[in-house]
Amino acid sequence: MKVGIPHFGFDTLALKGFIEELGAEVVLPPPTSKRTVEIGVKLAPELVCMPFKITLGNFAEALERGADTLLMAAGARKCRFGYYHFLQEQALRQIKQDFRLVPVSQYSASGFIFKLIPELFGVSPLRVMRAVCRLLVKSALTRDFRRLLNRKRAVDFAGAEQVKGPVMSLIDRARTISEMKRARREMVRLFGINGKRADIRIGLVGEIFYTVDQRANQEIEKELARLGAEVVFERCLYNHLRYLLHIDAGYRRSRRLARPYLAECPGGEAIRTVGEARQFVMQGVDGIVQVFPFTCMPENIALEALQRISEQSGVPLLYLSFDEHTSTTGLVTRLEAFVELLRRRKYARRVSGN
Amino acid sequence: MKVGIPRALLYYRYGSLWENYLRNLGVEVVLSPKTDEVILEQGLKCVSGEVCLPIKIVAGHLLYLKERVDAIFFPRLDWLYDGLYACPKMIGIVDVARMLLGEKVRLIAPSIKGNFTRAHLTAGLAVCANPVRVWQGWRRAVRSERGKRGRNEDNLPAAGRRTVALIGHFYNLNDEFIAGAIIRTFRQNGYEVITKESLPGRVLLNRSGFAHNIRWVYERELYNAFEYLLGRVDGFCMVVSMGCGPDSLVAEFMRSRAQRQGVPFLLLVIDEHTGIAGLVTRVEAFVELLNRRCLSRSGVAAGC
Repeated sequence: MKVGIPHFGFDTLALKGFIEELGAEVVLPPPTSKRTVEIGVKLAPELVCMPFKITLGNFAEALERGADTLLMAAGARKCRFGYYHFLQEQALRQIKQDFRLVPVSQYSASGFIFKLIPELFGVSPLRVMRAVCRLLVKSALTRDFRRLLNRKRAVDFAGAEQVKGPVMSLIDRARTISEMKRARREMVRLFGINGKRADIRIGLVGEIFYTVDQRANQEIEKELARLGAEVVFERCLYNHLRYLLHIDAGYRRSRRLARPYLAECPGGEAIRTVGEARQFVMQGVDGIVQVFPFTCMPENIALEALQRISEQSGVPLLYLSFDEHTSTTGLVTRLEAFVELLRRRKYARRVSGN
Repeated sequence: MKVGIPRALLYYRYGSLWENYLRNLGVEVVLSPKTDEVILEQGLKCVSGEVCLPIKIVAGHLLYLKERVDAIFFPRLDWLYDGLYACPKMIGIVDVARMLLGEKVRLIAPSIKGNFTRAHLTAGLAVCANPVRVWQGWRRAVRSERGKRGRNEDNLPAAGRRTVALIGHFYNLNDEFIAGAIIRTFRQNGYEVITKESLPGRVLLNRSGFAHNIRWVYERELYNAFEYLLGRVDGFCMVVSMGCGPDSLVAEFMRSRAQRQGVPFLLLVIDEHTGIAGLVTRVEAFVELLNRRCLSRSGVAAGC
């Protein structure tokens, strides 16, 4: 069985490790490119949101590489995301007939461990549990990788880009938990920054796919790091998995912090976006960047709340909505202007404070 | 005490019930006027540009009421029955409304979470301290609603009349400002227009088949109406507001299914920039297509 999965930023490594752990071969699509998006746009309905189009493009390219089973997260709730797989299957049948798309429901941990995965891969639930544990550890590793990378990139851009590749293959190779521990030690050593810190810190919030997938958000973290700003984030596969297993304290904190603005969850990740933004403000970040796909329903509601938070706390907010026409040049110009604004504010405040 | 109800979104389904109920509780009810350019302009200024047209309109209505009333009655529909959700924007608009209105105007916004009656009784207690009166007021309002609609026949036009099914959310289709021109054009060209509102509840609430997978309450109704009317009408016209999340997916299911069945399907995407003239032209072209199909079919039947 050749399993195809869509890209999910650096966390793809963790997902890939999980499926390999279950004894199947993983066919990763080539990194998301212009071609991927074009394929996705061609096959998808016009008004649907971008993650649909990008993951659809990923699947199409995975099928070209010979995948026969596609795994897609599912679970219909308030957000459109849970319905993707119905239409994606229908769209992919236009280009290939012999494959199956397996929707992996997110919201039933027991169904996942005892039914869905054992039946799909022909393994025992015990082995699935072991794989889930390893997935958790590995996704924590990829999260820390992204954190350390952002930290180092902001002060030593060239050095960080140089060690990025080796560390990624190190993480990819780590299978058991002790190997992952060793990889983590090596990673921390390689990403050492000798006590230097960037002068600007920016909190990244928004829709999960767009905050996590570097190709989808056009490497916004890299561009900000190039401008000397360190990006901090909370949203990642690790926290999402913990949320699905109901062991995420961060989500409860977000809920509490978001309550004055959003009394009910409007679905998706609006609660997290608002809660994390307030958390970042309390931690003293210099600015907040919200990224989301064009016409994302929950994030547009969250945006209204973020604008209020920004007004009340005086922390500048930049919101970026992406679609297939977003150009990198325009994006970089906006980021440059934003970082410039943050620097001036910080500097002006220091002068007036003296 | 003056309580305002915005004439938008859920008003188009529960409006008369709400009005009756609040009057029974002895409050003065102020309705915002029908949607017009001024209201839309106001709404556009204060919500983000990416939300859909009905949300922009409701923001305008709220701002209109803000100056004129003490409180605004604006229930939040979270889920209605069967664990079926409203769309994220409809859930979130209440929080946006609270931020828009500020401290000055009270927002009476009970959350409907599976129990329609309880949410309304709680809301009633917010304006009237007497629980007995609230209960009686609610009962009376519900009873007068029940008298109005006998929702058991499908109200389809008589056979032989040319009919078009207008598939779209009730808050779009019932708003003169949004869909008035579309409906008028169909009628002027001799077509009966049927919407999901005239179908009986047992059709709309059907949970078998693909409808089972749809977890949005109004999308399921739309899809069921579509399935039911497939083969009973001459064509479908779907009205979607730009940026409507649920519609962007469900419309695609309907479009591909209509295509397989060979039924004409027109998808109209509307937003605040849509010109009436452009809409009318598209509808007229669609009517022309339907006419030709009818002609050629009757020609075949007559053996020509």
